[in-house]
Amino acid sequence: MENSSKELSGKIALVTGGTKGIGKAIADKLASNGAIVVVTARNPSEEESAHHFIAADLTDSTAIAELTEKIIENYGTLDILINNVGGTSSPAGGFQMLGDEDWNRDIELNLLASIRLDRAMVPKMIEKNSGVVIHISSLNGKIPLYQSNFSYGVMKSALNAYSKTLANEVAKNGVRVNTVSPGMVKTTAMETFLEGYAQTIGKTVAEAGQQIMDGLGGVPMNRLAEPEEIANMVAFLVSDGASYITGANMLVDGGTFPAV
Amino acid sequence: MDKELIGKVALVTGGTKGIGKAIAERLSEAGAVVVVTARSRPTETQTNHHFIATDLTIASETDKVVSEINEKFGSIDILVNNMGGSTSPSGGLAALTDEHWESDLQLNLQSAVRIDRAILPQMADKKRGVIIHISSVTGTLPVYQSLGGYAVAKAALNNYSKSLSKEFSPKGIRVATVSPGMVKTDTMDAYLQSLAETSGLGVEQVTQNLMDSLGGIPLGRMALPEEIAELVGFLVSPKASYITGVNYIIDGGSNPSL
Repeated sequence: MENSSKELSGKIALVTGGTKGIGKAIADKLASNGAIVVVTARNPSEEESAHHFIAADLTDSTAIAELTEKIIENYGTLDILINNVGGTSSPAGGFQMLGDEDWNRDIELNLLASIRLDRAMVPKMIEKNSGVVIHISSLNGKIPLYQSNFSYGVMKSALNAYSKTLANEVAKNGVRVNTVSPGMVKTTAMETFLEGYAQTIGKTVAEAGQQIMDGLGGVPMNRLAEPEEIANMVAFLVSDGASYITGANMLVDGGTFPAV
Repeated sequence: MDKELIGKVALVTGGTKGIGKAIAERLSEAGAVVVVTARSRPTETQTNHHFIATDLTIASETDKVVSEINEKFGSIDILVNNMGGSTSPSGGLAALTDEHWESDLQLNLQSAVRIDRAILPQMADKKRGVIIHISSVTGTLPVYQSLGGYAVAKAALNNYSKSLSKEFSPKGIRVATVSPGMVKTDTMDAYLQSLAETSGLGVEQVTQNLMDSLGGIPLGRMALPEEIAELVGFLVSPKASYITGVNYIIDGGSNPSL
């Protein structure tokens, strides 16, 4: 749906992991609100991206330096940084299944990638005394799931703490930093994850999905989110309408988080 | 402005000044038919808001107001429980009498409970509706010097709102809480003025003291009512379709809790 006011006209936005799923929905939404959007992924997707695509593996620190250079070369600045890249390939089955390599991979992808990218890009925002950073986290960062997602949840929790700490530091420099915590979202990544998990526990995909929803305590809205529903929150947070919101963790979870 | 609320009927309690007025304006800009309530008619009435004079701390008023809105405009799609506040004195928790506690709970919790209860059936019939509770950061970050009872009532409101969302989200009704930090309104200015008089300190000093008691505000300023209204406008819109049972803190970063 087009936003007739093009509230992000003239803004340069970077969306990491922006070629599929939630990242793609965010990129599309920001572009439809008028932003110039750059997306990264390790490989281009099968369908050509509607946005400026830069290949980058953000667990590689040289890649981050190159990405920063390319953005400054092409656009001179960055206004909006969406740290969306994340995920896990760690095995299910509890803490004994996770070796150092699994933990390190999850730290790299879900925490250090954002930390390094912020370290490279946020100083440009501080120079201009303006900018917005979003960290896409997960409900899993607030609700542990030891059976299916032990290390991922821990890393998302660390990401939440990092995001809040950064928010406190750079608020005085005109930069707002917020976290968005989606619940379960209907993406191909989710399908792939559920297929893998189903195999591990010897159940059907539907049963595996139900088990995870039960492990979360149930979803009051009784469905998964569409990627666009996450993108809508991100689009609001990066707009001027959210000018008093910083250091917040905005849950978009159909009511799943059970506590006050 | 996207006219995404065309055809919706919205009620904003305490909608004639400050945050409530900003919310009412934001919702009507988005196309909603907006009804506002307050105890007294405002001096400048927004011509596109429908005003009903009422004191919703009086139990019998609730059903009268809901019936009047239903008769004139149809069933209510959006309810913003914005009314709230405190007439309790400063001087710490020990300065609060039973009457002060009762008054804070009535104004900040019970009034919302009553009006939600009156409106939920019509939302449940349509399997559709949005209820917002305007709370306060003090609900999770208590300030005992002058807002002790208010803070407790807001904490109760937060729990109640979450509970309501669990019960009614499966029925198609979204329920969310918005917790503002310090907001620059006439009420805030009057409150800071009275704190200044009681303490013998200047208004700037008491403002700074209040900001400090929240742990400081990273954004370095109070919110404008319009900034709170923007978040509420987003929350009641179709864009927030997967959002329920949340407490969104809008406080310039002051709440230190992760």
